[in-house]
Amino acid sequence: MFVRNVAGTPGPPITVPTQIAKKPKYRAAWSRAGRLADQTWSFIAMATEESGDAKAEPALSSSTNRSQKASEKPDYALKFTLVGHTEAVSSVKFSPNGEWLASSSADKVIIIWGAYDGKYEKTLYGHNQEISDIDWSSDSSCLVSASDDKTLKIWDVRSGKCLKTLKGHSNYVFCCNFNPLSNLIISGSFDESVKIWEVKTGKCLKTLSAHSDPVSAVHFNCNGSLIVSGSYDGVCRIWDAASGQCLKALVDEDNPPVSFVKFSPNGKYILIGTLDNTLKLWDYSRGRCLKTYTGHKNEKYCIFANFSVTGGKWIVSGSEDNLVYIWNLQTKEIVQKLQGHTDVVISAACHPTENIIASAALGNDKTIKLWMSNY
Amino acid sequence: MAHRGAERDFQTSARRMGTSLLFQLSVHERELDLVFLDHSYAKPWSAHPDASSARPTRTLFVTPRRQHESTIESDVPIDVETVTSTPVPLYDNQKARSVMNECERHVIFARTDADAPPPPEDWEEHVNRTGWTVAQNKLFNKTLKALQSDRLARLANEGACNEPVLRRVAVDKCARRVRQALASVSWDTKLTQWLHTTLVETLSLPMLAAYLDALQTLKGKIPTLIDRMLVSSNTKTGAAGAEALSLLLKRPWDPAVGVLSHNKPSKLPGSPLILVASSGPSSSVFPTSRRHRFWQSQLSCLGKVIPVATHLLSSGSGVGVLQCLEHMIGAVRSKVLEIHSHFPHKPVILIGWNTGALVACHVSVMEYVTAAVCLGFPLLTVDGPRGDVDDPLLDMKTPVLFVIGQNSLQCHPEAMEDFREKIRAENSLVVVGGADDNLRISKAKKKSEGLTQSMVDRCIQDEIVDFLTGVLTRSEGHVGTEPRDQDAEKKKKARDMARRDLAFEVPERGSRPASPAARLPASPSGSEDLSSVSSSPTSSPKTKVTTVASAQKSSQVGSAQLLKRHVQRTEAVLTHKQAQVPVSAEHVEEAEKEDLRAQLKRQQPPSPLPGSKAPKRPKIKVALVAQGDPAGGPSQGGAPEAAGGRPVTMTLGQASAGAKELTGLLTTSKPSASEGGVSTGPAPSVVPSSAAPSGLHTLQNRLVATSPGSSLPGGPPSAVRPLDCVQGEVEGAASASSLLQGLSFSLQDISSKTSGLPANPSPGPAPQATSVKLPTPMQSLGAITTGTSTLVRTIPVATTLSSLGAGPGGKPTAIHQLLTNGGLAKLAGSLPGLAQISNQASGLKVPTTITLTLRGQPSRITTLSPMGTGAGLCEEPTSQALPSSSQRLPPAP
Repeated sequence: MFVRNVAGTPGPPITVPTQIAKKPKYRAAWSRAGRLADQTWSFIAMATEESGDAKAEPALSSSTNRSQKASEKPDYALKFTLVGHTEAVSSVKFSPNGEWLASSSADKVIIIWGAYDGKYEKTLYGHNQEISDIDWSSDSSCLVSASDDKTLKIWDVRSGKCLKTLKGHSNYVFCCNFNPLSNLIISGSFDESVKIWEVKTGKCLKTLSAHSDPVSAVHFNCNGSLIVSGSYDGVCRIWDAASGQCLKALVDEDNPPVSFVKFSPNGKYILIGTLDNTLKLWDYSRGRCLKTYTGHKNEKYCIFANFSVTGGKWIVSGSEDNLVYIWNLQTKEIVQKLQGHTDVVISAACHPTENIIASAALGNDKTIKLWMSNY
Repeated sequence: MAHRGAERDFQTSARRMGTSLLFQLSVHERELDLVFLDHSYAKPWSAHPDASSARPTRTLFVTPRRQHESTIESDVPIDVETVTSTPVPLYDNQKARSVMNECERHVIFARTDADAPPPPEDWEEHVNRTGWTVAQNKLFNKTLKALQSDRLARLANEGACNEPVLRRVAVDKCARRVRQALASVSWDTKLTQWLHTTLVETLSLPMLAAYLDALQTLKGKIPTLIDRMLVSSNTKTGAAGAEALSLLLKRPWDPAVGVLSHNKPSKLPGSPLILVASSGPSSSVFPTSRRHRFWQSQLSCLGKVIPVATHLLSSGSGVGVLQCLEHMIGAVRSKVLEIHSHFPHKPVILIGWNTGALVACHVSVMEYVTAAVCLGFPLLTVDGPRGDVDDPLLDMKTPVLFVIGQNSLQCHPEAMEDFREKIRAENSLVVVGGADDNLRISKAKKKSEGLTQSMVDRCIQDEIVDFLTGVLTRSEGHVGTEPRDQDAEKKKKARDMARRDLAFEVPERGSRPASPAARLPASPSGSEDLSSVSSSPTSSPKTKVTTVASAQKSSQVGSAQLLKRHVQRTEAVLTHKQAQVPVSAEHVEEAEKEDLRAQLKRQQPPSPLPGSKAPKRPKIKVALVAQGDPAGGPSQGGAPEAAGGRPVTMTLGQASAGAKELTGLLTTSKPSASEGGVSTGPAPSVVPSSAAPSGLHTLQNRLVATSPGSSLPGGPPSAVRPLDCVQGEVEGAASASSLLQGLSFSLQDISSKTSGLPANPSPGPAPQATSVKLPTPMQSLGAITTGTSTLVRTIPVATTLSSLGAGPGGKPTAIHQLLTNGGLAKLAGSLPGLAQISNQASGLKVPTTITLTLRGQPSRITTLSPMGTGAGLCEEPTSQALPSSSQRLPPAP
């Protein structure tokens, strides 16, 4: 058991993995190399429909028994490539109503795309540093973005205006999340704190400071009562959203830096990505790891992962080998690898109702790809 | 919507089920019932194999222990989607939400300037802090932080299925923090008023609502402080706003209010009288807690509730725990007797919390009651758990229900099972999950199960109803038929037997020249039933204390512990049947002495008390005076210095109502109490004042004599002998003083209830006028004493117990242990404080006070022993070492 019941119990001596020693290499945003700094903003955002040349490669493809395999293989195929960002893309998210796809990038802008056709909608300008993460409000009307300019911004998607700027962090803001009711926002930052903000007033209501390294991911559970935060210190903490008390801390054996955490859709499990090429599914109430997903490469970047529940039950994640990996949630097998990106796939998102996956890659690629399956 | 519909269905169906509504939520052994349906011979798994009287334990809200599932195999499908449905709240969610938002709706009332636009959302930036002192800044920031946390909780909990409960928990927390902030400035009036004004002016509306919620909560707990805080704003807002605000703040909202008020529990069969034994002395300064008041009102749905309060009559250095206990038991017991005499056919149910539960149990051992209910029963004593072979409670015959908290410190469910096995009486146990000694559930429990305390209380009440209904219907079946009467008959016989035995013994010993009346066996049967009067058999009185220190320490010993011990001792000496001891009129005499003196004293201050009730008071007094008369003769002419040194006065001020009641009772009692009649002559209404000192002295002597007996519990086994031989003395003396005290106490008790009267008593008005009535009351008084003597005798024992630990020779560690072990140490510790306070309070309404002082008078013990030979002999060896408590009654101001 690598779980401790937190609050006050001193953690084990934290061995800082070598990867951490050389920091900025988190998501992409602050890796300035390759930044097309002087290019004009008048690029044309566009989506190119794939004609089948960049094919999704079924990981364990066997043409035999295809009908039978159909139940086990997602069969995602590339449908659109969305070009528009001038820098590494850091995050893509589908809106909860399924209409839109938002992407944030190191080029300081957020672009809204049509979720089904990849059509460019609009660009949200405002941050003056790279953006590391975005999240939709439940009603799909608002976005929150976390930026290296140490602020978060709340955007009205329809008007494209910034509604509020949340100031308070003392370092890069790296991750953010709306609660299900969208009256609260949590943010994690390089200042090693997690802050809870009131959406309406833009005030910070609570600062949770329990990590000793940058916070890499924060997430509310499905009813908004719990918050999970993961950090490079190798600890995942679960917080009571109402009181800000730490309820639990999950620590893995060898304490690898946590690059990503997320509650399962029903809030019973937590998916934890660590920088040792591993994704694990935890039952946090019992404090035990149930499943381990490996095979991909993840040692440097905070790569998003996701539960795909619209068709089969998959785990979807980007990888540093430029592929998108899809695992069977139950069997832990890799069921498909999506090939097409030319740089690290930093983010992969799943559409809330359709079998659509959006993936985004870093600076050498700068594109977003939409993959669909008629599974 | 379908879900919503289902919820509604559930609620309505649950409501239809009436009282069992809340029952449903708690985890009961329902499968068990199914088994029972098919197999009537089946026993529940928790049934005791060898204790048929202990009914299986029932549990409320006890979360079943999670079974350790076998390690989950990796191939077990994991469901990441399905959201487990949350339990439907048991309260009316709509209603709960509406009360929950009360403050938000009415937040405008608090605004001093309703016309001005409310502060913007970013009000914080606009707060002008220039000119604020450090203290002001600090206070403001603290409060603000609390409010912000509350805000977070509100937002986070918004829309949750049990939001009202979560909100309630959060508001309680916020209130606590605000209170802490205010306490950090010692509730400085200026600062708090400033804070209130500032907050009202600057806070945004949602924050202000949160603040009002906190105020509302605090108002329920510390009304005066909050009122003081609001004064300034009230003047600004004007009357209307202030009134609205005060209405809003009147009482904290409760999520479950709707359901609970809709589903009132029904009356118990047989219209029983419910006696609520207090768990400590009450004080006008510290009113009973909201919760207890709530419980009282809840219980009153079941039957007529009669709270038995014990008032601490004290000034000076405080009252020992012992005396307190004695008063408590005495008060309850006398109330039981009173009720028996008034309503002979009504079932009587004793209910008590914590120490009150013990009191109830002990009284149920001594008097016939239909059932006892022990809430938050303290099983653990400083000596370890109850249930030793000599524990008097094991002899209980009364059906008893124990309700304990799962997390109680003074009780453990498993230990409770062991205890129950040994009890002879039919008994049930209800364990309330996650509850403490006072059956309050923890915050976490509230959150996780969506409960409120009121709901839990209600469930407990339902359990009580269940239990009592069973008991009452059974006993009702018996009523009117032979069995019960026979029972009573038997009891009476047993009592008479005991009495006769003792009566026989006493004269034989012949060691009490002072009390001719003592030779007369106590009243013939029946008298005790009638002697319902104020006979609170509390006793204690005049024994001396060797050292002050010990006396004080004694007061710290857990009262429950004392209770256990001293009754235990009783049982050891007598049988568990209540032996009625012959009591001489002497006791009464002593009492009269006191009273007489009191009267004499009071002659000095002019005290014209108008009011119709005034004439009643003297009536009692006269009776007492008359009583004292015969006593003057026989009482030994001991050194009058006793009285001179320590003027003893008992004031019966404001006793108007009490007096009425008392006299009523006195007169109703039939003259069947033969001995009473005998001992009292047609008393001359004027008593020489010299009689008083001597009477007092006698009393003191008697009590001194008791000290050997009191050494028993702690002392070496050999000390048991002395008790036997002194017993006669002890009985007499102790009961005398107890009568005195009991009388005064009950008077106080009653009088304080009617304390609307402005004070000054008018003892003046004519003893002669009422002297006609004398003989009757007198008799009844005699009878009373007999009724109470059992209890009384035990008291010295208890006294010494405490002093034993605390005495100079005692081991300090023992005391320490007592204090730390005994959960009741708290009570004990608080007693002196209470005493102090009640003293102050009573200082205002002078006449009602009786002062109890613990005072060390080692020299007295030796000097005051021209007693009966038996007593004297026994006394010698021990008297020095044994401190006992003395009571001093200072003159009425």
